[in-house]
Formats: sequence, structure tokens, C-alpha cells
Amino acid sequence: MKHLRENANSSLRDYSQGTYAPDRMPEKRRRWNWTKVLPFVVRLILGAIFIYASLDKILHPGAFAQAIYNYQILPGELINLTAIVLPWLELILGLFMIVGLWLPGATFLCTLLLLTFFGALLFNALRGLHIDCGCFSTSAGTPSDIPMAWYVLRDGVFLLLALYLSSHILFRNWEVLDESPRQQRSPL
Amino acid sequence: MKKMTETSKLERIGFRIFWQMGTIVLLAVTIGVIFNQIRPDRLRLVADWSVETQLAQELGQNMLISLEEARELCSSKRAIFFDTRPRELYEQAHIPCARNLPWEARDEYFDRVMGNIPQDALIIAYCDGETCSLSKDLAVELFYRGYDNVRVLVNGLSLWVEHQLPLEKGPWPGES
Repeated sequence: MKHLRENANSSLRDYSQGTYAPDRMPEKRRRWNWTKVLPFVVRLILGAIFIYASLDKILHPGAFAQAIYNYQILPGELINLTAIVLPWLELILGLFMIVGLWLPGATFLCTLLLLTFFGALLFNALRGLHIDCGCFSTSAGTPSDIPMAWYVLRDGVFLLLALYLSSHILFRNWEVLDESPRQQRSPL
Repeated sequence: MKKMTETSKLERIGFRIFWQMGTIVLLAVTIGVIFNQIRPDRLRLVADWSVETQLAQELGQNMLISLEEARELCSSKRAIFFDTRPRELYEQAHIPCARNLPWEARDEYFDRVMGNIPQDALIIAYCDGETCSLSKDLAVELFYRGYDNVRVLVNGLSLWVEHQLPLEKGPWPGES
């Protein structure tokens, strides 16, 4: 309660001194607050990537199952189930990221998925297996058209974005828990 | 108000993250499975992705060959072996009677490697690993090109090594 009283008093003081006017707001308030804008933009980008990546896989589950098989990592029994569930997981995550729903869980799950994709690509690149990554499209292209290094690099950039967002959300949640219930802000 | 301890903050954030992650995964499983069941081109939830089944599905026949048969055919030179892995891997180690026909560069290699092989010759394709599909892909391609006597030695190189059979290194002599 103390802080509320202090805020109210300071507002009254500002009014009484004639300083509380929107056109005389401090310089800081009018500038872009990058610590808020950047995470917002990153989450929109990641959300859009996940939604875009999910659509073709939802439309062509058989081709996506073949792409998973080509990775030669999952046991045969799990290939179809992964091809059925993973695209929906990506779609839901993308939507949640854009809408801003359950951000801690959605962001950490995005990071976990990207880490898995990155590991799978890197593993195959290192063992000399050249596959079509099946990341955004399930259409059977010629794998040798695009070098594996490009897939690894692209996934690495997405992973960095997700790691940044995860650390930001973790930090914000940590800060929010320090504040009293009335002061608490959104974690992002 | 008393501030939370570091441990309880971590527990609270961790709990929030995990229940949200779990619920999202559960949601995706539910929607994915229901949607799959109602779509006309549904996938079976669990399918057999073994090379044997895939070959049987694509060509309607079993084209696998056992290691014992392959070894005998190699020593008697009654079959032509194709290592379908990339050239670098072939040169590191391969089955002695095998030529290299990398699946990914098949168009570049095909005429040179297949030039003198009659269409009724017994051909055995192999690669490495239980799930490696390169040999299966080559077998199907050769079958459609008119080579009806094609077989696949699944997990060929690993089996060969496991049974301590001899290997060779370096490029295929016929390549030069």
C-alpha cells in the first residue's frame, strides 16, 4: 500500500506543480523501449516461422513421415506418430507465440524443438548423410540442391532467437515474482 | 511484503513452464490424432518402416538377401555389388567386390558404372545402418530401369564388419 500512496502523492504533486502533462513527458517515455520491443518482435518472428513450417506438413503427413524416416534417427514405430503430432505442435506453438498465450511454456517448448531439430541436422551433417531437411516443405526435392550447412546455419539462427526469448522470459518472470501482487506486470 | 526465496522462485517458474509445456503437448497429441483419424489420407499410428516392408510395398516382392548368401556370391564373383554410400565413405572401407554407385550422385555415375552390366545380372546393393534407405532406393531405381535381378543387403557394411569379413579401401579400379 505504501508504494500506491507514494505514487498518488507524486501524481498530486505533479498536478499541483503543473508538470503532469503528456506533451511534457520525459524523453525516455517517447523513445522505443527496445527491451520490450525486441522480445515482442522475436516472438512474432518465431510464431510466424512455426506456423509456416506446420502448414505443409499438416497437408501432407505421408511425405513428412518419409522426411522423418530419412533422418534415420527415430525408431520406425515412432515415425508416423511424430508425423501426425509434430505439425500440430508447431501450429499451436506458433499461434500461442503470436497471441501471447502461455508464453513461458510455449517459448521453452519452441527452444526444445529447435534444439532437437538442430541436433538432428548437425548429427546427419557430421555423419555425411545428405538429406532434404523437410523443415518447411515436404515436397521431395533433390537433397543435393541445398547444402546441409545451410540447414544447420538457418536452424542455428532460429535457435539463437528462441534462446534469447527464453532467457528474457525467465528473467522477466524472476523479476515479476519479486514484486508485490499489486505491482506485478506481465512476464513479457 | 516478504520477498520469495531464490529456490521457491525457481520452483514456481519451473512448475509454470512444465505444466504449460505438458498441456501444449497434450493438446497437440489430441488434435493431431483426432484430425488424422477423420482425414481420408490418414496414417497408421504405428507403421513398419523396415526396408523389407518398404520394398515389398513398392515392388510387391521380397528383395532382401542374407549375409551368408551375399558373402558366397561375392567370393565366387557371381554377383555385382554396389556400395550406395558417398564416394568418400566408399574409399574409406567397402566390401571387396563392390563398385561405388552413390545414390545421391547416381545420374553422374550411372552410365560409367553400369555400362557393361547385362540387365539379367544379379546385383546386390548395400549401404550402412538398419534404417539406411540408399540401397533400397537404388534397388527400386534399377528395378524400374529393367534390372529385375536386384537384391538388397540390409545394414550391409556393418554386418560385414561384425562378421569380421575382409574389407578393401580406395577407389574402384574400374573408375579410372
